[in-house]
Amino acid sequence: MGVVVKKVELSWLDRTYVWPVMKGMGITLRHFFRQLFTPTAKRYTIQYPDMKKEMPEGYRGLHELKRFEDGAIKCVACFMCQEACPARCISIEAEEFSDLNITQGFEEKRPAKFSIDMLRCIYCGMCEEACPKDAIWLRKDYEVAAYDRLAMQYGKWDLMNTYAKADGKELISEDPTPSVPRRTIAM
Amino acid sequence: MDKLASLLHTTPAIAWMVAKLVIVFGGVFSLAALWTWVERRGAAMIQDRIGPNRAALFGKIKIIGLAQPLADGIKFFFKEDLVPHDANKGLFWLAPFLALVPALMGFAVIPFGRSFVSGGHEYHMALLDPGNGMGLLYPLAIGGMAVYGVLVAAWSSNNKWAILGGMRSSATMVSYEIGMSLAVVTIFMTAGGYDPSEVIKAQGHLPWAWNIVRQPLGFIVFFTCMFAETNRLPFDFAEGESEIVAGFNTEYGSMKFSLLALSEYCHLMTASALIATLYFGGWQVPFMQNPPVMLSVASFLVKMLFFAWVFVWIRWTLPRFRYDQLMHLGWKAMLPMSMVNLVFHAWRMSQGH
Ligand code: SF4
Ligand code: SF4
Repeated sequence: MGVVVKKVELSWLDRTYVWPVMKGMGITLRHFFRQLFTPTAKRYTIQYPDMKKEMPEGYRGLHELKRFEDGAIKCVACFMCQEACPARCISIEAEEFSDLNITQGFEEKRPAKFSIDMLRCIYCGMCEEACPKDAIWLRKDYEVAAYDRLAMQYGKWDLMNTYAKADGKELISEDPTPSVPRRTIAM
Repeated sequence: MDKLASLLHTTPAIAWMVAKLVIVFGGVFSLAALWTWVERRGAAMIQDRIGPNRAALFGKIKIIGLAQPLADGIKFFFKEDLVPHDANKGLFWLAPFLALVPALMGFAVIPFGRSFVSGGHEYHMALLDPGNGMGLLYPLAIGGMAVYGVLVAAWSSNNKWAILGGMRSSATMVSYEIGMSLAVVTIFMTAGGYDPSEVIKAQGHLPWAWNIVRQPLGFIVFFTCMFAETNRLPFDFAEGESEIVAGFNTEYGSMKFSLLALSEYCHLMTASALIATLYFGGWQVPFMQNPPVMLSVASFLVKMLFFAWVFVWIRWTLPRFRYDQLMHLGWKAMLPMSMVNLVFHAWRMSQGH
């Protein structure tokens, strides 16, 4: 069964070509003046280095390794994220450490090294999904660029500091000695 | 002017001539360069974008991107100037000038202000004084020369796409020239002469006596043909990225390319000056018998720049024609229309109006 294509009948005014041209020019002129009198901040274009887009909730940008109030890393080096990562760009080395003074038999685990190869990361958010401790977040920073490849290998401290400035926290570069046990274990 | 002339040990006539030369050619040339920016900025605004606004003088003074033509010029100067191996070297070098010079020269007879008398001399605001015997035939003839720029550029670069573009555009130019000439002839007929000053005088200072009101059909024909003459959208058949790479300037780079591009804008300026002269009373100020000289120059500039803007405006409004549609329009619509216009006005004149 064929489809009957209906041809649009043009009125004689439209056939003159002059009138439709004038209508079209009216439309473009309207756009021109609207754009001309719109303040820069309200235009569609975001002039990037000067203006930045506020990313929506749930945007998957640069990672942050979360920390406790006292600066200790939340990650327990369970390797879940490393397993989940489809790009295989997370590599973790775990270490034991003693939490406060209760050392005997209460060894804790944390990453000694935690690195993400940002050149390979696809920002899929799987690591965030997999983490049982909510220790790794993908947040809103999208300006991940560097002049050399090495600078794109984010280490443990880089990852912990990625949003420190934005959140008004101080930069840390070593594991703190916690003053209170984070976990009380009934013996 | 007398003082300046005696300072330079020349006659006032020569001093005035030199001043006019510098003002007219320098002015048209820099307006053309400026119009590349206006074009891009206007296009952006029409499409709800922003356009080039970042080029800054000394990295600081931004003035809404007005430095862009300068930056483009500098960039073009320092680009490598390639000549294709199998090109016709001489013609390849000549073509940009063949395109640019006629585009600039067409402006020479157009009066851009009222003539005035000072110190016993009469000064005319046109490069060639009125009564030179060429009148408005001159810009039309020179406009016809523009075909050579495009065609020589296309032919000499020894590139199939370029030749296709050149052929197409020369066919357009030639076929639209006829309709255009007939429209202009009607004006010569009603004005009783083909000198621009006569044409302007015949139109007078009242807007409803201008040729746009008297010969609207002729205006439409002339205006449309001007688009074909300047090779601009909707008739830009010299170029066409989707069909023939870049068109007639495929092989051109660096300053030669920018001269070809500039010649299009010079053409645009000359075309808008012609439209203003022929149909909108030239330098006449509406409702003013003998306007002050500066006011008449301003009036002419406003009219000319308005039409230059209309060229830009139309370019970003209308889609392109197909080639056969273009030929159809040229031969079956523009030519008969201009003939009807001619015959109608001849009949009216014979009735003694
Ligand atoms: S976002 Fe995806 S690719 Fe990037 S580190 Fe996490 S799991 Fe791997
Ligand atoms: S899944 Fe979470 S807790 Fe486990 S290693 Fe990754 S970041 Fe650390």
